[in-house]
Amino acid sequence: MSKHKSKDVLRGATRTQSGIARDIDEELSFHLDMRTRELVHEGMDEQAARTRAQKEFGDVDFTRRYCASMDAQTERRERSATVIAEFLHDVRYAFRTLRRSKGFAAVSLFTLALAIGANTALFSVARAVLFKPLPYGNPERVVQLQDHPVGDATETYSLAPANFVDIRQQQVSFADLAAFSGFTPTLQREGADPEIIRGAQVTPDIFRTLAVPAQHGRTFSASDTTSATAKQTILSHALWERVFGSDATIVGRSITLDGERYTVAGIMPPHFALGIDDQLWVPYRVSEPLADMVRARRQHYLRVVGRLKAGVTLEQARTEIATVSQRLAAQYPEANAGTLTTVRSMRDVLSGAYSKPLLLLQCAAFAVLLIACANLANLTLSRSVARSREMAVRAALGAGRFRLIRQLTTESLVLSIAGGATGALLAGVLMRRLLAINPEALKTMYNAGLDAWVFTFSLVISVATGLLFGLAPAIGASRTNLSDALKQGGRGSSGGRSRDVASRVLVVTQTALAVTLLVTAGLLMRSFGALTNTSLGYSTDHILTAQLQTTGARYDSASAVNQFYSSVLEQIAATPGVTAVGGATVLPTRGRLSTKLRVVGEPTDESNLPDLGYQAVRGDYFKALQIPVVQGRLYDATDDTSPEEAVIINETAARRFFPRNDAIGRQIRIGPDQNSPPLRIIGVVGDTRDQSVDMPAKPTMFASHTRETWDPTLNVVIRTTGNPESVASAVRAAVRQHDATLAVRDIRSFEDVIGASLAPRRFALGLAGTFATVAILLAAIGIYGVLAYSVSVRTRDFGVRMALGASSRTVLAMVLKDGLLWSSIGLVLGLGVAMGLGRLLSGMLYGVGAHDPLTYVVVALGQLAVVVAACTLPALRATRVDPLTSMRAD
Amino acid sequence: MTKRDLLPGLLDMLVLKTLSAQTMHGYGIAQHLQRLSKDVISVEEGSLYPALQRMRQKGWVKAEWGMTPNNQRARYYTITTAGRKQLGEQEDGYAELMAGVRRIMKPA
Repeated sequence: MSKHKSKDVLRGATRTQSGIARDIDEELSFHLDMRTRELVHEGMDEQAARTRAQKEFGDVDFTRRYCASMDAQTERRERSATVIAEFLHDVRYAFRTLRRSKGFAAVSLFTLALAIGANTALFSVARAVLFKPLPYGNPERVVQLQDHPVGDATETYSLAPANFVDIRQQQVSFADLAAFSGFTPTLQREGADPEIIRGAQVTPDIFRTLAVPAQHGRTFSASDTTSATAKQTILSHALWERVFGSDATIVGRSITLDGERYTVAGIMPPHFALGIDDQLWVPYRVSEPLADMVRARRQHYLRVVGRLKAGVTLEQARTEIATVSQRLAAQYPEANAGTLTTVRSMRDVLSGAYSKPLLLLQCAAFAVLLIACANLANLTLSRSVARSREMAVRAALGAGRFRLIRQLTTESLVLSIAGGATGALLAGVLMRRLLAINPEALKTMYNAGLDAWVFTFSLVISVATGLLFGLAPAIGASRTNLSDALKQGGRGSSGGRSRDVASRVLVVTQTALAVTLLVTAGLLMRSFGALTNTSLGYSTDHILTAQLQTTGARYDSASAVNQFYSSVLEQIAATPGVTAVGGATVLPTRGRLSTKLRVVGEPTDESNLPDLGYQAVRGDYFKALQIPVVQGRLYDATDDTSPEEAVIINETAARRFFPRNDAIGRQIRIGPDQNSPPLRIIGVVGDTRDQSVDMPAKPTMFASHTRETWDPTLNVVIRTTGNPESVASAVRAAVRQHDATLAVRDIRSFEDVIGASLAPRRFALGLAGTFATVAILLAAIGIYGVLAYSVSVRTRDFGVRMALGASSRTVLAMVLKDGLLWSSIGLVLGLGVAMGLGRLLSGMLYGVGAHDPLTYVVVALGQLAVVVAACTLPALRATRVDPLTSMRAD
Repeated sequence: MTKRDLLPGLLDMLVLKTLSAQTMHGYGIAQHLQRLSKDVISVEEGSLYPALQRMRQKGWVKAEWGMTPNNQRARYYTITTAGRKQLGEQEDGYAELMAGVRRIMKPA
């Protein structure tokens, strides 16, 4: 009795432990029976024969047990060998089948690669940004303290030094508390251009707080803050590599910062930073500013980091610090009333802003994946109908239902894993292109790469996708009836009804998802358009900007600073092609300094002074940016030396604080000291969006930089007739000529500056737009597939109709109606979902509501157009059916 | 004539040789061995079945339930390709062994 090898492969029967025992029993009993019978035949009586047979046999019990365990073992091995054999067989079979339908395979692979690739890319980015391991010891215990106005926890800022000292003294929740603030020295080297380096001044215990030792040399100790002569500095790994060539002997030697010698005490390990892109650190004595009673508690410029004590939760620390800060507010009402200190995890501070947009984008990518699955499920369904004869025959040959399902699912899995692998590779390319759109703000994402986690994610998604679109059709296909399938000649309509419904449901789902994505992308696009069309209050074209800094002992006096800047600006102004030159301490969209305002002659509430944005300007700043003068005048030479200092304010400030329109000539006081000398308003300029493009102007003052030289940084703004980049070399030359030890930084066109501030939005828009396009394409392919299949099934039907006199237009209408009906249901569903999700999006929109009717209408029309286009080909094919041939076809 | 005990490994070879001619059930194999060896070799029937299980695990034989001519259910054993190969090797080995023994016993 020979057995077919293939049948063995298809069979899946297994035995249980009791089944094995029964088999052994039966076999041994058979043996004993036969022997007994033989002995009886020879003449013995039954009882004696049986005893004899058993004796001859030996130890029946031992044999039984031994054989049972051996049999079980063999069974186990056979089973696993079979499973592997079956699996390999399935895979090979899947490849054969897919090679036969190259079109299906190609479309599926492309779809899957795109969908899985997008998900993988986003996951990789999200991981790098949201879950990136921070470069500190035990990073989950590291927190940052921030101040905010009571009642508005979103507007956070730094702490004042006296408050920091008091909090540090009074708290119990933290093992360590340290502080830092910005420090941007100019690095001067022999034989190289001076360079402005972004760094930080830190309290010496910060390295202990963050639990990171130096890689070379040492970190700061308390004594480093006391010696004023021997200044120490610690370098970042990147700076050490780039500027000092990873030379380990630099430790102990000195470098020149701002004209002073600093000894390099140590080098930090790679990737260490305090989160502000800092490249070097110098010690900071926190007791220094405390001498100035006014500044100590009213100037907020310290960032504070801490490490939670073991066993203390973030919540507990937050509560404790809130209590301490309230106590301080009661103790020092003029300085601290209205401010509360809070505690946030370091991770939240560094990447919290990105979590919502990234989550949104991941959902969008996931929606695209679902659409792709729906597409593939539909396609698989159609194919399974065509293969129902094959399935029925295999079932008749002994393949169990589970086996058939496994076979079909393996096909889907092969497709999805191949697609996923392609997609993962695609993700790498996609990510690089995405990052190119937005290099600055998302610098951390450069670490986003294809590592083990990402590959695992990709694999899991691929398998899940394969199961999602393969399992249901497989189960449906395995439910075949042999006689039915053979009768219908391969186009088995058994279960056809439910299959039709299933594919219609899929079409509706796809369309709905695609429409939701389209609405999202549309709204984002309109937001972006509104933003770029917003009147900013200043012009952005034909302007070059550059950052200068007067550092070092040479510039200790205001006259030295003024001398330098006016010479440089004069020289630049003389360059051909330059129409106006000016400078400001902060460029629009690059940040905002603020101070407190008191209007002379009006009652002031010291505990609740209004905020006033602060800027100092020099030269033809307003002319260069084409900011109009609304009232009064701009600064001129007399203001440089007038006994009373002049000030310019913007329209919003004038409107808000001088409602009687009498701003010109009035006086104001600014700053923490209520007895500081007053400033006289001489002019009002037009509003500018200087904090960010999407925020309207706030009250701002523009001091004259000639009188206020305490901020060594100046952003030069140059208006040119031609290409702004052309004067870049002139800027460098002017600076070098007047002081070769000073560096020029960030020379770029103003358009680039503004563009950089819009980059996150452009990034989100780019992604959303891509997803929406892919989604609608996939939905269109899906509709086309379903309709094309339905037409091919009903070929005979159409043939009969046309033979009976139906015009081709009627047939066309039938097909179109079918396609439009279901996709319209999807459209309505999608619009509904989009409306429901409106609230989630509203935070990211600008200038357009989440339920903007124009967008919805355009999307609806667009989707209808796409559906009609997708329906056209199958509809036309239906009309071209030749009645005679269709009826003859099987 | 006293029944001699089998040398180790011999049982496997004999069973394989038996099956190489025909598929049989366990009892049939026992009978066959008894008949051919003319009661010289004593095969403790108890050790036959463990041997069959071992050979099945090694892949030398296959087992399948079937019906005897008397319509009784019995487990039939068939030799596999691997089993045939093993038999060939074992036969060669045995032949070599016998030749060696002969040379020692009957000095040329």
